[in-house]
Amino acid sequence: MSTTFYPLASLSQIESTPSREDGIPADLEEDLRAYGCKLIQEAGILLKQKQVAVATAQILFQRFWYVTSMKQFGIGDMGMGALFLASKLEECPLRMRDLINVYDLLLQHSEHEHTMGPKSNTEFKYAPMSYFGSTFYELKDTLVVAEMQLLKRLGFNVLVVLPYGTLINYLRVLGLTSREDVTARAWGYLNDAMQTPVYALYQVPTIVCASIYLTTRHMRLSLPSEPPYCWWELFDAEWEDLWSVCGYIMRLYRDRSDEERSIVVKMVNKKEVRKWLEDHSQGNEGSSNGTAAE
Amino acid sequence: MNYIQLEKLGKSDSSEGTYATVYKGRSRTTNEIVALKEIHLDAEEGTPSTAIREISLMKELKHVNIVRLYDVIHTETKLVLIFEYCEQDLKKYMDQHGERGALDPNTVRSFMYQLLKGTAFCHENQVLHRDLKPQNLLINRKGELKLGDFGLARAFGVPVNTFSNEVVTLWYRAPDVLLGSRTYSTSIDVWSCGCIFAEMISGVPLFRGRDNQDQLLHIMRVIGTPTDAQFQKIFKDSPEIQVKQFPRYPKMDFRQVLPKASPHAIDLLERLLKFDPAERVSAAEALSHPYFTTAVTQTPFGINTAPGSMPPPAFNFPHPHGHQPSQQQQQQQQQQYSRHPNFIANPASVQQQMQAQQAQANMGAFGTMQFHAPYGHNPNAR
Ligand SMILES: Nc1ncnc2c1ncn2[C@@H]1O[C@H](COP(=O)(O)OP(=O)(O)OP(=O)(O)O)[C@@H](O)[C@H]1O
Ligand SMILES: [Mg+2]
Repeated sequence: MSTTFYPLASLSQIESTPSREDGIPADLEEDLRAYGCKLIQEAGILLKQKQVAVATAQILFQRFWYVTSMKQFGIGDMGMGALFLASKLEECPLRMRDLINVYDLLLQHSEHEHTMGPKSNTEFKYAPMSYFGSTFYELKDTLVVAEMQLLKRLGFNVLVVLPYGTLINYLRVLGLTSREDVTARAWGYLNDAMQTPVYALYQVPTIVCASIYLTTRHMRLSLPSEPPYCWWELFDAEWEDLWSVCGYIMRLYRDRSDEERSIVVKMVNKKEVRKWLEDHSQGNEGSSNGTAAE
Repeated sequence: MNYIQLEKLGKSDSSEGTYATVYKGRSRTTNEIVALKEIHLDAEEGTPSTAIREISLMKELKHVNIVRLYDVIHTETKLVLIFEYCEQDLKKYMDQHGERGALDPNTVRSFMYQLLKGTAFCHENQVLHRDLKPQNLLINRKGELKLGDFGLARAFGVPVNTFSNEVVTLWYRAPDVLLGSRTYSTSIDVWSCGCIFAEMISGVPLFRGRDNQDQLLHIMRVIGTPTDAQFQKIFKDSPEIQVKQFPRYPKMDFRQVLPKASPHAIDLLERLLKFDPAERVSAAEALSHPYFTTAVTQTPFGINTAPGSMPPPAFNFPHPHGHQPSQQQQQQQQQQYSRHPNFIANPASVQQQMQAQQAQANMGAFGTMQFHAPYGHNPNAR
């Protein structure tokens, strides 16, 4: 089976991401990344964009945070830039105006939920922006800059390999293709994994094995899993990697308190990230070099 | 900038408007002559997708028959791509050195070999060029032919993917693409190679249609209208194609179309210009065709071209299994990778990193090295 490789984050980038260096705790960074990806997903749906472009955008977005801190660029802006760029790469370009409007709507909506509380019953009203107002022009600028920064900082490493074809192949090898529920579930894990950094950390075969592993656990399917006969070795996946990918995916499903959620929603732009860092640096012995993460 | 801009070499005539201007340039530090392709950034579109493709793909493709991208300079308003310099493109070469555009058989053979070699390398690395035509093939002083202009190229290998239908300049566009296929693959470039082959032999483009439909008719008048069974098969392979009615043309004898061509040349051409993409030879297979492997003449290349023309091209003549090792290597790398997921500790990748650094050091001669990817590295270094 031929597999194309794509660039991965280096060990030092993984050990301490730029955001963590700036004092953003690891789990908060993970949540912010996931929220950024969720916005990309929602924008993609509203824009009726092809799923391949959305997935590509999420992967580029995840890569970006291994070379840049969230203190420097907001997750909202970068998500928008990633979707803009990925749509060009997948040959289904988006109009700037549509993309900007959709992001504006999504952000206004979550702002509403955040200020009113998620269980509030005040109705959400969208206030569209004027095309001739300065906000629109500023956002256009932001979008062009975000795309440029993605390209520049990723060194034009924008090759992305999506996992779906590999999943189908592996399920076929394992004789599981007849079970539609299995395919659907594993496919779902692969999509959810787009909200985690795993596509920037591991190659596709490992991630696909993790999605199958989670599926077999959930559905109580038994596949040979005792050394020396472990099914994932068939696909050259290592147990530790597979397990680590599962960890990232499962952490996505952890329950968040309302407070945790509203912090994340609020920190969608870099201004709020900076404010948060200021508020938290005093309480944390003035640390700005990642002690907060431990 | 670290380059002195010299005269203008070419201006983009692409449908996207004024996309790029190409200048000759000289490095301030090394004095080396380069080509500078300036791309203006648009406030409405951001970075042009042509530039994104060209840079992201070309920086990985290192081969004698592909124009080398040395460096990229990024400013607020423009992107400048720094390429290895080539004297002229194949179109201008044919105008200047050919007899009414037609090149002598040895030059044709040399160029064709290099064209297929560069194309095969792209395909082996899962890149489709999608815009092969004489203007996009560059010839340097040594008589080396190099594929340039990867503005329409894209990576493939992702299944369940459909591509844009707006590719390849009309005259070099494959019939399946003309019919509306979006699931085409490497055979699209092979068709263009066939068209260029015929053009080098005769001096004029082989199929000169006015529009999509007219182009198809030009093609069918020469290679014949496919039979119903053949059409059925093509539609089955690419269901997105629209069924239409076409006049029934018989196949012409290529010897009539190209009286100057040798029997081996005719045979190769037939294999490159198959209507059904599934029947077209691959670029790699074409390289071991008797047209290249049979010695027709002892004359070194280019000896009977006009005075002052290029010296014989420097390339190794056909070795039939020249393309084999890569797959093995790939497998090896794949295994190595999976044993050392933490690949900073992986000797193979350290080596690759060193190679990459080496390459960068070499490129560093061009001043601002904006190219080093701060993000990771590609374990499948090409
Ligand atoms: N490396 C080079 N050395 C010398 N000349 C070059 C080089 N690259 C490009 N040129 C000249 O500039 C012309 C345009 O270059 P290129 O095809 O890369 O640009 P483009 O804008 O993408 O073209 P188009 O859209 O017109 O096909 C070429 O046809 C060639 O004549
Ligand atoms: Mg061109």
